[in-house]
Amino acid sequence: MAGTKVLCVAEKPAIAKAVAQHLSGGHVQTSAVTGNRFVKNYTFDFNFGGQLGNSSVTMTSVLGHLTGLDFERQYTGWTSCPPAHLFEAPVRIDVADDKKAIANNIIKQARHHQYLVIWTDCDREGEHIGTEVRDQAKAGNNRIIVKRAKFNNTERVHVLNAARSLIELDERQANAVAARIELDLRIGAAFTRLLTLQLQNLHDTLTQRVISYGSCQFPTLGFVVDRFLRVKRFKPENFWGIKVTHSRDDIKVKFLWKRVHLFDRAAVTMMLERCLMAKKAKVTKVNQKPTSKWRPLPLTTVDLQMMGTKYLRMESSKVMKIAENLYTRGFISYPRTETDQFDKGIDLKKLVEKQLPDQNWGQYAQGLLDGNFRTPRAGRHNDQAHPPIHPVCWVNRTALTADEHKVYEFVARRFLACCSDDAKGQSTDVEIQYGDEMFHARGLLVLERNYLNVYVYDKWESTQQLPNYRVGELFEPTEANMFDGKTSPPNYLTEPELIGLMDANGIGTDATMAEHIKKIKDREYIGVQPQGTGRNAISLLIPTRLGIALILGYDDVFAGIPDSPSLSKPFLRKQMELEMRDVCSGTRLRTHVVQQNLDMYRELFIHTQMRMNMLKAAFRKYIVEEEDV
Amino acid sequence: MSTLQDQLNAQLQSKSLPVSPAWLTTFLSTGTHQRTPLPALTKTALFRLLNTDFRESLIPRAPTSVLPVDIFDPTAQERRLPGPIPLQVLDIEDIGTSIWNQVEAIERIERGEAVRGREIVRTVNVGDEQDGNNEADNAGGNANAGAPTNANESNGPHRLILQDARGTRAVGIEMNQINGVAVMQLSIGSKLLLKNATVARGMILLTPESVTLLGGKIEVMDLAWKAGRKARLLEKITGTGAGGV
Repeated sequence: MAGTKVLCVAEKPAIAKAVAQHLSGGHVQTSAVTGNRFVKNYTFDFNFGGQLGNSSVTMTSVLGHLTGLDFERQYTGWTSCPPAHLFEAPVRIDVADDKKAIANNIIKQARHHQYLVIWTDCDREGEHIGTEVRDQAKAGNNRIIVKRAKFNNTERVHVLNAARSLIELDERQANAVAARIELDLRIGAAFTRLLTLQLQNLHDTLTQRVISYGSCQFPTLGFVVDRFLRVKRFKPENFWGIKVTHSRDDIKVKFLWKRVHLFDRAAVTMMLERCLMAKKAKVTKVNQKPTSKWRPLPLTTVDLQMMGTKYLRMESSKVMKIAENLYTRGFISYPRTETDQFDKGIDLKKLVEKQLPDQNWGQYAQGLLDGNFRTPRAGRHNDQAHPPIHPVCWVNRTALTADEHKVYEFVARRFLACCSDDAKGQSTDVEIQYGDEMFHARGLLVLERNYLNVYVYDKWESTQQLPNYRVGELFEPTEANMFDGKTSPPNYLTEPELIGLMDANGIGTDATMAEHIKKIKDREYIGVQPQGTGRNAISLLIPTRLGIALILGYDDVFAGIPDSPSLSKPFLRKQMELEMRDVCSGTRLRTHVVQQNLDMYRELFIHTQMRMNMLKAAFRKYIVEEEDV
Repeated sequence: MSTLQDQLNAQLQSKSLPVSPAWLTTFLSTGTHQRTPLPALTKTALFRLLNTDFRESLIPRAPTSVLPVDIFDPTAQERRLPGPIPLQVLDIEDIGTSIWNQVEAIERIERGEAVRGREIVRTVNVGDEQDGNNEADNAGGNANAGAPTNANESNGPHRLILQDARGTRAVGIEMNQINGVAVMQLSIGSKLLLKNATVARGMILLTPESVTLLGGKIEVMDLAWKAGRKARLLEKITGTGAGGV
């Protein structure tokens, strides 16, 4: 009875399985794919409606990218050509060896199907993988008609809707990825071969080591080295300040100096004396007003990684891996998103309702449904592809590992917090003039905790309450003293800070940041040093001698060049990311962007070659002679 | 003495600048000033005068138009200077920002990093709350607090070294923010008039009410000061180990 024959291909086996389950309603036949034990073919019937109508469906998947870009064989050896030639050496797209069986499965299936429906993740990479799948399918059946399902979680109704409103593949997004792949290959290979061949033999610890370059890796490393140097070179300084206290109604009020502190002891002594000479302080301002602490914005990938590393104490790459897994199993929405505003169409209360069974926050969710629900704040970002990360359905703690549950809990609590009211309080500000100096005190009374009750990661506590002061009133402070202190160095960079820096400076996409950080750890450019224990434990990112030598050496290579080009600073990569967006929006052509970037990096490459002695000098200094920075 | 010189002298005196006859003579003898109308000539003279060293171009007659020679006396709790006293700036320091922060800001500019075209390396503070409701820990010694992002801006307050026409020097502390008083903005050798100022423990209290900035500079001194600024800052913190002042 099923007329149309439809081949569906997902990005991962788990998605294929989940989608097949939903579309088939459970009546599904599973068969193995020769040569790959992860990928399965699922056959079932489904009515897509519209053109396709009643169909007999084969659902299968790939395992991420099917093909890879590489140089022609004669250029693949490390010493096969001068590295500079890699900027224009011919390249070819090949199915990776371990993906051949999967590609063959698609070619074979395509032969007896009329339609191909792409179910890869809805992001740039997914779009590109979709074109890879399409190319294989066309190789098997040139007349196959290609469609795409747009979805961002694997919840049943959502999947059914996606299947019944198919769209087209977005070539522009796929083109942007293709451009990025080519640039990363050529630039990465050229610089990596140059660095490795030239620097490897400088020291025992470097032999056999690949000294890689990546246009994201380097600026990422640059942030870590930059902070490290700031800590190392820091010089502490003394400062002085004035603190005023006043006891009234049995409350000891501490007034803080408006100037905070100064670095001139004589001046502070003089200022304090002039306060004391004045004898009385005058209240210049009393401001009592309602205040609130805002509930968080809907969750984005960057936020998940930053908060995840900060509150859940996991590496960002691990947080992402777990989130990915939770998404594939249908518990949370797609975890790669820049959007921090919920679409008007989404039924948030229904999502809240799903959390009712939870032992810990189910009751809070009930409270939201009983009238505490508020429409979430809308941030300023919308990638037009995915909603903010939210729980799709409730999952029992026992079904998850401890770490998985931590991430799920964070996503769920964050979502409920978004749908709650701000925390409310009352603040009192008192400002006084004492001599020539201004001081202020603030009291905070938290009245309603609201979202704080579920979002345990935020803190907002009442402070000591202030006694009554009237504007214009004069009083004699109980004490006015000089205090002193010392400036302290900044802390070494932490992973959440690094993600924040990468995000703010346009290094990588939200999806790839965690990978870049992992890469520079794997390359041993940076190490991780734990500090503190228990709830206060944090991991500090410290560059290795190799990492320091690379960044400082490169800074020397480009020192004094007009327009300060720098491989360790984020500007060039940021520019490239922006151009990728242009390709996506169709304002620029892929070939132009690739050519222009290659021209620019080729110039930097030639310059690096010419001043290689600077890099070697840095390596000798920091690695061979182990000099301190 | 020509009438013109008298007139010019009177004009400058009315601006509280007791100009020396010798300087005026030289000024009038260089260039064709005879036919220039007095207001324009006064302007030119003022402009030139502000770019001289006051020790050479002014001859103070009244004791109120110079600093008391014992102005630095730290035992004097408070005294008044009715003025007006013409002074020139010999040094300016931001005492509200740590020296190290100032050095880092200078280095950011040296590396071309702070501003490259319109690009700026953006820094982030993880965990900072966006709603600003949190108590600022004012007593904390965080070196990052109040760091200027640009070495051409300074938060102040500033500590100035001022000099009068007789060469007497004094420390001035900017008690309330004065427009135009900032590191790299207020030139070395630039001039100001001090009126009804308070001196406390040897420091002149500078306020918008007591200070009128006249502008000008002493080019050589200003250039040398700017060129040596980083080295001086570094010397201050490395020389004494952890000394502030």
